[in-house]
Amino acid sequence: MGIKKVGLNRNVQPQTLTEKIFFLDFMKGLKTTIKHLFRKVITVDFPFELVEPAPRFRGVHGLRNVDGTEKEDFDAWVKKLKIKPPEMGETRCIACKFCQAACPVPEIFIIKAEKLDVPEDHPHHGLKVLSQFDMDLSKCMFCGLCTLACPTVCIIHTDVYDLSSYTRRGWVLNKETLSKIADDFIARRGKEKYDEKSHWPDWQKIWDEADTARAKAWDNNPPKLGPNYADQQ
Amino acid sequence: MSWITLDKIKKLQEQFDFVQINESDKGFHSVEVPKENFKQFVQFLKEDPDYRFKMFIDWTIVDHGQKADPRFQGVLILFSPEYKERIIVKTWATEETLPTLTDIWAGAKWAEREAWDMFGIKFEGHQNLVRMFMWETYPYHPLRKDFPLKGYEEVELPSLNEKERMDQLEGLQNYSRMHTALPTLEDLEITQKKRMPNKKSQVVLNWGPLHPGTHGTIWFLFDMEGEYVQECDIIIGQLHRGVEKLAENLNVQQIIPYTDRMDYIASMNENHSVCVAAEKLLGIHEKIPEKAKYIRTMLAELSRINSHLLWLGTYALDLGALTMFLYTFREREKIMDIFEGITGARFTINYFRVGGVYADLPYGALDAIEHFIKDFPTRLNDYETLLTRNRIWLRRNIDVGIITEEDVYSYGLTGAVARASGVPYDLRIIDKYDAYGEVEFDVPVGEKGDSYDRYLVRIEEMKQSARIVQQCIEKLRKMSKNDPFFFEPEDKKMKITIDGRGTKLFKGEVYAGADNPRGELGVYIFMPKDGIKPHRFRLRSGAFYNLQIFPKLMVGRPIADAITILSTIDPVVGETDR
Repeated sequence: MGIKKVGLNRNVQPQTLTEKIFFLDFMKGLKTTIKHLFRKVITVDFPFELVEPAPRFRGVHGLRNVDGTEKEDFDAWVKKLKIKPPEMGETRCIACKFCQAACPVPEIFIIKAEKLDVPEDHPHHGLKVLSQFDMDLSKCMFCGLCTLACPTVCIIHTDVYDLSSYTRRGWVLNKETLSKIADDFIARRGKEKYDEKSHWPDWQKIWDEADTARAKAWDNNPPKLGPNYADQQ
Repeated sequence: MSWITLDKIKKLQEQFDFVQINESDKGFHSVEVPKENFKQFVQFLKEDPDYRFKMFIDWTIVDHGQKADPRFQGVLILFSPEYKERIIVKTWATEETLPTLTDIWAGAKWAEREAWDMFGIKFEGHQNLVRMFMWETYPYHPLRKDFPLKGYEEVELPSLNEKERMDQLEGLQNYSRMHTALPTLEDLEITQKKRMPNKKSQVVLNWGPLHPGTHGTIWFLFDMEGEYVQECDIIIGQLHRGVEKLAENLNVQQIIPYTDRMDYIASMNENHSVCVAAEKLLGIHEKIPEKAKYIRTMLAELSRINSHLLWLGTYALDLGALTMFLYTFREREKIMDIFEGITGARFTINYFRVGGVYADLPYGALDAIEHFIKDFPTRLNDYETLLTRNRIWLRRNIDVGIITEEDVYSYGLTGAVARASGVPYDLRIIDKYDAYGEVEFDVPVGEKGDSYDRYLVRIEEMKQSARIVQQCIEKLRKMSKNDPFFFEPEDKKMKITIDGRGTKLFKGEVYAGADNPRGELGVYIFMPKDGIKPHRFRLRSGAFYNLQIFPKLMVGRPIADAITILSTIDPVVGETDR
């Protein structure tokens, strides 16, 4: 660790007389630019060609449904919060409001759970279901804290990034929309992101290697992905 | 840790009987002096050969709440370049006034204006105590504890509520028609006149607030004599969002996404500062898992390359070299791809946490970074061939905006701007936070302090960053995939979570930070008792203090140099305004 002095006459020589007379500095510069003239195009032709976001990409939120890949403690959480045990295809949300507590802008969320209106002898008596889950994404900064706080991996980030809308109303997503976004995402790319227990697996790739648009942005010479650590497969 | 030792403070106490010592078990001792003796005392600290605290770091206020009497406390942070240590000097602002320090350190000028703007503390003897961020007719002082977080909503802005085009939203998700105060054109005119009270020429040239050359919303005023600038002033605050105020109402993990939006070019480094400071306050910085330390160092350096590439591209673009802009953005694209894969976001990253990082590296991350780092030196070589010895580049840069060593200390300049003037001030070496103590790198230092030196220093910094990244990769390769990436406290009193719920800070105060591409982003956290929300969360912005020297450099220079000087100082408005 040391100090490296830089400056004219130290690591850079001033222009010599020959360079000045024959414009050699311009020649050298032109050589570089001409070299680049014969390279392949690196720009992605956006609306016709899309770069697939990375699996970890923090896009529009989604609410996952029960699909048999819940974490081990899912049933314990459901019991703890007195939620009606969800069936296949019903939301994983247990209305614990951890996402709201972790959020730097908690007014994004409106989360409500209602008690089921069933007779006393019904097994679901006294249990609750999620009745409202609204998110105002115009206030969201996509920091990802809500998804980390969620104990059931219900609220997730998907790879959807186009959120434009003509009115502010369009950014307020309700439970059904969020579920649809998540279902769609899980069907498309769920295997890339989550393992059987809804954890991020250690084989989760930094991005999809087969993505040609991304390869273009990497000078048509994308890196070959391999394991990070000595004991990784 | 670069902090003044207790023995040295005790010696001070022997010399001056009015000095009170606040001891801290984490090693961040501070001294308290009465207001009457304050100036004499800091003058002594600056000049005495045993102390030589000649570098100005920060000068701010802590509001102890409405019930406290006296209520406001001035906090001065100084650095001694000779002994490589810091000190905090505090004094109570009785009757809401404090003596000015502008005659000792020129850098105090903006700091005092900011303190007046945010806390309403008057500084006796300040030449032109006007507001820093808000407009002149703004009636409140927003960082006072009695100012509500939402502000006073007193202006009607019906356009915020497009009733015709949207159906009704309920509760908090609806938009109120009322808005906090906004400046009118008259207000802005008053502000402009107050900033430059004795203008000489007939026309004051306005540059900005919306001009591509200013790299953000900065509003420059130039008092011109022909083509030469007689006097210059800067109006900032157009991007002021009150991050410090917001931070006082959040837990420390929740502050991190807000800092992303400060220096949005190098958001990784901004997050780093907050993490380092909070970890030092909790006393866990040394215990952070090795893996997290190396990941953080590696990504912070990648982010530095990213930031310097944007600087180089826009700087060259401003001076007329369009090609550079396209070339550097090509490399930036790759770094942002890496960030996207590892952290989930390209720009506003929020990956670092107090206690580590939020997730391990994904499969292939190190390969992607290695691939980039291998390729990078040839690219950098291309840039240098295009620029470094180009005659136009030399003419536009050499001897423009010379910053002397004395200026660096007196204005509190940090980062590449300080290093180009021959001051090897680098927190990475002084504090050795994270893995910086274990990797090898050189600190590039300039000679003359002109724009050309700042250019060379930043180019060299990119090379050194690439070197650090390479070493981090080698170190990380040897680790196991099961190594922890987040700190698990053994102490039951301490609670640190990845998502931030319940993360608690301990009583005490700390000043720490990281060396960012734009200078030192220091974080001063003051906690009167244990709690989730910080009582005072001061962000000492490097870009803010670096920008302060711009008016001085511009005096007597032609207007065309404004672009060169501003580009090489390289402020990001998100960070200057906070």
